[in-house]
Amino acid sequence: MKIIIVTPEGELYNEEVTSVVVSSANNGEYGILPGHLPIISTIDTGYVKMTFEKLTYYVVIVNGLVQQVHDIITVIAQDAYIGESKEAAFENLFAIRKARIEANRQRNVELAMAENELKKQIKQTGAGNL
Amino acid sequence: MSSMREIKNRITATSKTSQITKAMNMVSASKLRKAEKQYRAFIPTKNRIKAVLEDILATYIDVTHPLLEPRETKKTGYILVTSDRGLAGPYNNNLLKTFKTFLHENHASNDEFIVGTIGYKAFSFCKRNKIPMINTESVNSRDDVEFIDFQLMSRSFIKYYLEHKVDKIVIYYNHYVNTLTQKVDTYTLLPISTLTKKKDNQVAEFLFEPSPQEVINHLLPIYLENTLYGIILDAKTSEHAARMTAMKNASDNAEEVITKLNLYYNRARQNAITKELTDIIGGANAVN
Repeated sequence: MKIIIVTPEGELYNEEVTSVVVSSANNGEYGILPGHLPIISTIDTGYVKMTFEKLTYYVVIVNGLVQQVHDIITVIAQDAYIGESKEAAFENLFAIRKARIEANRQRNVELAMAENELKKQIKQTGAGNL
Repeated sequence: MSSMREIKNRITATSKTSQITKAMNMVSASKLRKAEKQYRAFIPTKNRIKAVLEDILATYIDVTHPLLEPRETKKTGYILVTSDRGLAGPYNNNLLKTFKTFLHENHASNDEFIVGTIGYKAFSFCKRNKIPMINTESVNSRDDVEFIDFQLMSRSFIKYYLEHKVDKIVIYYNHYVNTLTQKVDTYTLLPISTLTKKKDNQVAEFLFEPSPQEVINHLLPIYLENTLYGIILDAKTSEHAARMTAMKNASDNAEEVITKLNLYYNRARQNAITKELTDIIGGANAVN
């Protein structure tokens, strides 16, 4: 059985697995083993637990679609982060998102300052009035 | 005619500017290649979600959603996609001008529409023209745009639509035709009209967890955001192309100005030499 996790940045994960558990806040938890009927479900915020023999990985998914056809599972997500445990993956996600929002806010302040500066300079130098 | 030193100063200033514009041209060229690649890579993902939605709509006739049904338009929502920074030629101005004329022709009062902006240029435009906005802070249009950047705005638009506060949502953006041409284009995001009922032929039937209706409920907003994301990528590609062309033109113009100034400079130098020579000859004649 194969799992492919795709985000807008490209393929995050493309590996063989033995079993997958899909869990989301909106519609609970279910598992997929080889030979499962074709299935489609969505995740708003949740995770996909992938097991390959003894290894286990968690991928936190934000707004995603899970589709399983002929033992190939495709997860299309807006955002996905991988971690060794559920908590670590979620923590990673929240930290990155928070940093991103903070960075955006900072950028807005900088842009506003730059615009004011530009206006001031145009006024002072009389640029545009030849 | 200006003095030699003045002309020299202008030549140095212009060549420095042309250095900057050349660098910006090169930066935009590499960013353009990247953005184009990202845009192309995203199309299959978008189509995949679309295929799932179309399959559900074709298989289950009783599945409906308010986002799919058109209704009488009382209030329209607009999304303007621009860049954060200027120096991109007519990129932002074209779009904002088109939008402004459209507003004048179609809306009598400010109560009939609400605008969501992406990119600082659109934000300051709306602020300047006192256009009602859905977002209180500018939504960044970064080169590495992510869903989280505009999700707050897109979710509130969807919420407004479901609460009947807006009845239609139109996106204004610059469509990338090729490196030299970008065209201002509109796209009707809501109500969704792009989905046709089409069966996915991969398998006979899918299981839906928990139900087709639930899947549609969650998938439609995702589909909308994906569409918006695709449009932003398209606009981003246009932006880099526009900036590249603008900077190329600026560099060419700078070259032209420098050649002209060099001519003036040489003439002024010649003048000065002639003047000195006449002075010397005059002096020598007086002595003799």
